Amino acid sequence: MEKDLRSILKCVRCGTCRSVCPVFEEAGWESASSRGRMLIALGIHNGLEVDENVLNSLNMCTTCGLCEQMCPSGASPVQVVQDTRRKLMLKGRMTDAQLVLRDETTSKGNPLGETQYRHSWLGDIADIKKHAPYVFFVGCLGSYRYPELTRRTFDLLKKFDVTLIPEEVCCGSPLLRTGSDPDSLVSKNMEQIKKIGAHTIITGCAGCYTTLKNDYPGDLKVIHVSEFLAERLPEMDLKHLDLKVTYHDPCHLGRCNGVFDAPRKIITSICELKEMKSHHEQSRCCGAGGGVLKGYPDLSMALSKKRLEEIPEGVDYLVTSCPLCRTNLQRGGPKVEVIDILDLLKMAMK
Amino acid sequence: MLNVDLIEKMGNIVGTENISVASCELYCYSSDASQIRGMPEVVIKPRTTAQVSDIVRLAYEHNIPVTARGAGTGLSGGCVPLEGGIVLDMSGMNRIVEFDLDNLQVIVEPGIVQEKLNKALEPYGFFFPPDPGSSAMCTIGGLIANNGSGMRSVKYGTTRSYVLGLEIVMADGKIIKTGSKTMKTVAGYSLTDLFVGSEGTLGIITQAIIKVRALPKERSVIFASFKTPELAGKAVVKVLSSGIVPSACEILDSNIIRALNNYDPKLNLPQAGAILLFEVDGSEAEVKEGINLIVKACEDLASAIRTASDKKERDEIWAARRLAGAAISRLDPVRTRVYVGEDVGVPIKEIPKMLHKVDEISKEFDLPIMTYGHIGDGNLHTGMCIDMLSDEDWMKLNAAADKIHRTAIELGGTVTAEHGVGSARSEYMRLELGSALDVMITIKKALDPKGILNPGKMGV
Repeated sequence: MEKDLRSILKCVRCGTCRSVCPVFEEAGWESASSRGRMLIALGIHNGLEVDENVLNSLNMCTTCGLCEQMCPSGASPVQVVQDTRRKLMLKGRMTDAQLVLRDETTSKGNPLGETQYRHSWLGDIADIKKHAPYVFFVGCLGSYRYPELTRRTFDLLKKFDVTLIPEEVCCGSPLLRTGSDPDSLVSKNMEQIKKIGAHTIITGCAGCYTTLKNDYPGDLKVIHVSEFLAERLPEMDLKHLDLKVTYHDPCHLGRCNGVFDAPRKIITSICELKEMKSHHEQSRCCGAGGGVLKGYPDLSMALSKKRLEEIPEGVDYLVTSCPLCRTNLQRGGPKVEVIDILDLLKMAMK
Repeated sequence: MLNVDLIEKMGNIVGTENISVASCELYCYSSDASQIRGMPEVVIKPRTTAQVSDIVRLAYEHNIPVTARGAGTGLSGGCVPLEGGIVLDMSGMNRIVEFDLDNLQVIVEPGIVQEKLNKALEPYGFFFPPDPGSSAMCTIGGLIANNGSGMRSVKYGTTRSYVLGLEIVMADGKIIKTGSKTMKTVAGYSLTDLFVGSEGTLGIITQAIIKVRALPKERSVIFASFKTPELAGKAVVKVLSSGIVPSACEILDSNIIRALNNYDPKLNLPQAGAILLFEVDGSEAEVKEGINLIVKACEDLASAIRTASDKKERDEIWAARRLAGAAISRLDPVRTRVYVGEDVGVPIKEIPKMLHKVDEISKEFDLPIMTYGHIGDGNLHTGMCIDMLSDEDWMKLNAAADKIHRTAIELGGTVTAEHGVGSARSEYMRLELGSALDVMITIKKALDPKGILNPGKMGV
């Protein structure tokens, strides 16, 4: 309790986050800024009544972490938001979207409501080796929304002694971000990873990446598929493409975990890269994270459109390395096609 | 006391999407960055002067307090509604109404953020010089209401120097215009000057004619390291009497240096007892001459002097310096920066003495006090971090802050050089202003007879 309160009290209310919070920029009310959410967390501690407005304030945060990046006093608003969502969930205070997300994900093993076998995209089940040094964690969107991309990615990876988790379930990210308990999912994935004997998990999703890396027990090595492949480019016999692309840094891959160079190494080995207006640590959010796409689709769409305004002139594609970012950026109506970094890699394969 | 009918009427004026009585929204508008608290009964986001006028007229008729707020970045409780009532969140009135650069001015609404105004001016080769640490988020209206300034005030002065005229909604809802588009006018009392720095106690600013300056061709930054803050203070007095007016002259003590290096390790500031940051701007020749004069004035006192290698290094150090106030919270996981007693100003000659006194106060209360600020104009920010869950720390903090305030006044200085009085420093107004405070009270009564505008502030 004291630790949580101290975390809230780190905020000096200087308002630096007002200048960067994309949600505040859209909504304009103090309760929609990181400073407002920190105050509300303090208010709840001091007896502020939890009503619909409180839940909306807390749940409109995409957990993009830009406020934390810029916070001079070293506060951790994202953690405070997630912890407060969790505390309220435990007291039965949640939005409908949180409830649906929790029940769908816990009962079906994915937040999309899908019931078919997760690895249906896989041509030959024999490709799932019982033991391997590397595991490819596909993720829910990769499994159900981008099966072709996933198949191609695994075709590439399996040459490097990579297998799949046979009964993979959601990594738990949607639950963790929105205040629910991911333990049963984490345990199910962890038991299988141990059986496989893998020392490294590879994933193509920023949400899975940060969850596997920071919220799973033990000392699993977790790398993004772009990191894995960036080290193996000479073995891939790629051709140069006469293209100019830009790159969207997923918040949970870039700013939150420092993976900036590997995707850029792949891109620049294939074609020309022209950065978006904000990039690396300062990159704007796509608007989908933290349960916002599910709970506040209009807000999420508005954030996506703002990010798309940062596409530089004269590029052929907007490349990203997270299926959730890709989905939401595509929703925003981009002036160029949004593709995954593996799509770009495929174009460059001889 | 507000009732449902009045809330409805207010909603009809601004639109229901621009009014909130949600308890969590009210909670969010109950504070700024100071320790002052006050709960509003309604928060309203007006979009036009007419809406402000209509709301204030309604408030006047029903004796409802009205407190204007910009970005809520203040450090004195200036925008905190001590007596409840209405908070007018002016940040939505953020348009640049007119670029009149041939006349060296722009007309703006109060909610525009300082940095956004400067970004809009930059392509035309102009800027609005007052640059507080909060420039990325503070509004021009807040700057005017507090007569805010910042790092470049040693050369460029405070916000007051850049306000040619104002549009004001008075306590009864009437709209007046003060000043003129001319560079000077002596027609009547200088009401513009009266409203600048009046912290929302005399009227609500709804538009401002702002004078802008041409961007200097060159800038250069010098870092001078000293064994102690007192030596740095002596160097400042020497530099300022050598004939050069730097465009910034900032002091960072050893703890602030540590905090900034922690915030941005790339800065790699030398771990000295104190660093002075000087900026010189102007033509190439002026900058060169300025650097030479500063180096000459500092060389006997400083342990090391160097100039920033390029624009990138210069920009990085200023960006970090702007956030120094909050960055000291990073030095200890259980301590948080608390803004009290943080904004004293003393005559330039008294700077070394004030620094020495601050050191004594720090020892007396066994409370680390970090010093930084615009030492070039005698404005020192004294930063204190406490364990916010410790009653003993709070007692020490408040006692130290009180002593800092009284020491500044004893040295012929002020309890607030740029952050404002609000309610955080109102108790010192009689001591600092003497019978001049009675004149302020008379003015307040004349312009706001019902006392509805930001009540409880500035000692009036």
